[in-house]
Amino acid sequence: MKCYICGADLTKADTCPSCGASVKTYKKLVALSNRFYNEGLEKAGVRDLTGAVNSLRQSLKLNKNNIDARNLLGLVYFEIGDVVPALSEWVISKNLQADKNIADDYMDMVRNSPAQLENINQTIKKFNIAYNYCQQDSLDLAVIQLKKVLSLNSGFIKAHLLLALLYLKNGNWDRAKIEAQKVLKLDTGNVMAKRYLKEADSMLLPGESGKLVSDIASSDSDDIIRYNSGNEMIIQPVKKSVLTRTSSIWGIVLGIVLGIAASCFLILPQRIQSITSNNQEKISQISEESDSKSAQIGDYEQKISGLQAQIEALQSQVTDYEGVDSTSAAMNSLMEAVNIYMATPSDIEGMAKALENLDLTAISDDVSPEFTDLYNTLMSNVGPQLATSYYNTGYEAYKAENYEVAITNLNKAYQYDNNNVNTLYYLGNSYYSSGDLDKAKEIYDAVITDFPNTQSAQAAQVKLAEINNSGN
Amino acid sequence: MINFEEELKKFKPSLEIEDAEDIIYGQDLDDMSDVLVRILKDAGHEADNSKRTK
Repeated sequence: MKCYICGADLTKADTCPSCGASVKTYKKLVALSNRFYNEGLEKAGVRDLTGAVNSLRQSLKLNKNNIDARNLLGLVYFEIGDVVPALSEWVISKNLQADKNIADDYMDMVRNSPAQLENINQTIKKFNIAYNYCQQDSLDLAVIQLKKVLSLNSGFIKAHLLLALLYLKNGNWDRAKIEAQKVLKLDTGNVMAKRYLKEADSMLLPGESGKLVSDIASSDSDDIIRYNSGNEMIIQPVKKSVLTRTSSIWGIVLGIVLGIAASCFLILPQRIQSITSNNQEKISQISEESDSKSAQIGDYEQKISGLQAQIEALQSQVTDYEGVDSTSAAMNSLMEAVNIYMATPSDIEGMAKALENLDLTAISDDVSPEFTDLYNTLMSNVGPQLATSYYNTGYEAYKAENYEVAITNLNKAYQYDNNNVNTLYYLGNSYYSSGDLDKAKEIYDAVITDFPNTQSAQAAQVKLAEINNSGN
Repeated sequence: MINFEEELKKFKPSLEIEDAEDIIYGQDLDDMSDVLVRILKDAGHEADNSKRTK
């Protein structure tokens, strides 16, 4: 404690050790200030903020240097929404005691949050606008504005009180009561709120709780419990257990399961049945098409067999015509050979060429007797020469081991002269050498049969023996 | 029965942050000690004056 005159530290004595001034009364003032501070602290502890403000103001009137009281007063002002008085107290406190002052922390808290400061400023401005609306008798606008204020700062007690007053003015007793109760919840010692609450309560008869309560009371919601306590209707929400809250989740899960089950047992079989019936329709359609195709195939097969018969008939006709052609060709060949013979009987080569394609065995049934007679006459005159010519050519080819040419020419030679055993023998040798053993055996048999007791027949027998031995 | 107009007079516009400086400077910070000092001073002056007149 310091002397109020010289500022020196005081002792337990009633005089200042420095200036000698009497400090007895001053000490009593300081003690009284501290007592008010304690009272204010206690009231603030039980949220009697109005009482706390009064006590702390008293404390500061007795001792302006009571820093704790001043800081606490600023804090209480801040709590009830009076930010500017709060800041004022903290600034003065800081001015009176620069060091170790908690007001620093409070002011830093406000300064370091510009958004909060701006929010506070807006709240104050809107409250003042609402206040002006009240002055101008625009009460509805004032109510709207105050609701905005309270949405920004629900702890602004003056706004609650003014709103309660406006509700009382408008006859909304219930709402006024709620606002007054909110104020008393924030500040239990607020006399104005108590008066408004009393006024509202006096206007509310039991069971006629105004619009708001009646709205709530008339609702048949199961979420609230209503009962009367004296003249008041108490409405409180029903506490739901965890199981009750989770029942909705279980309901959703059950719904999903039932939905899946319904789709499995009702929708899915129907869908499968429709798909099956579609498939059966397609199968029957395909089988019908298959039957018609089979019938068509049967028709086509019948047509093919008919056509095949026609082809065979036509082929036989063609063969007949070919026979006619070969006969006429043979006649032409014979005519040409006869013509050559009559012109130049020595042209053996020309006659051989003309008769080259004449196969008498192939046309033997179709030729006339006149043709045969002419052919035999020609052969009796030029046959040996032709045979000799073919034999020479064939023998040369045989020696040259050209067996194909040899067989052709020796066959011709034997055709024109069948009395030459050599022709037949070398023909057999040609077949033998060319590997056609069956034909060779046939020729050798002919040599042995037609020309027995000849050297060629003996040689043919040897060859036949060789063939037979090799065959075994 | 509450008189609205009378009640409304009890409300005052809230102090805005821009006004804080004026409020701080304009605040009456005198406490009981200051009052006592002034009383003592006044008492001293009166005693001096009475002595001079005598």
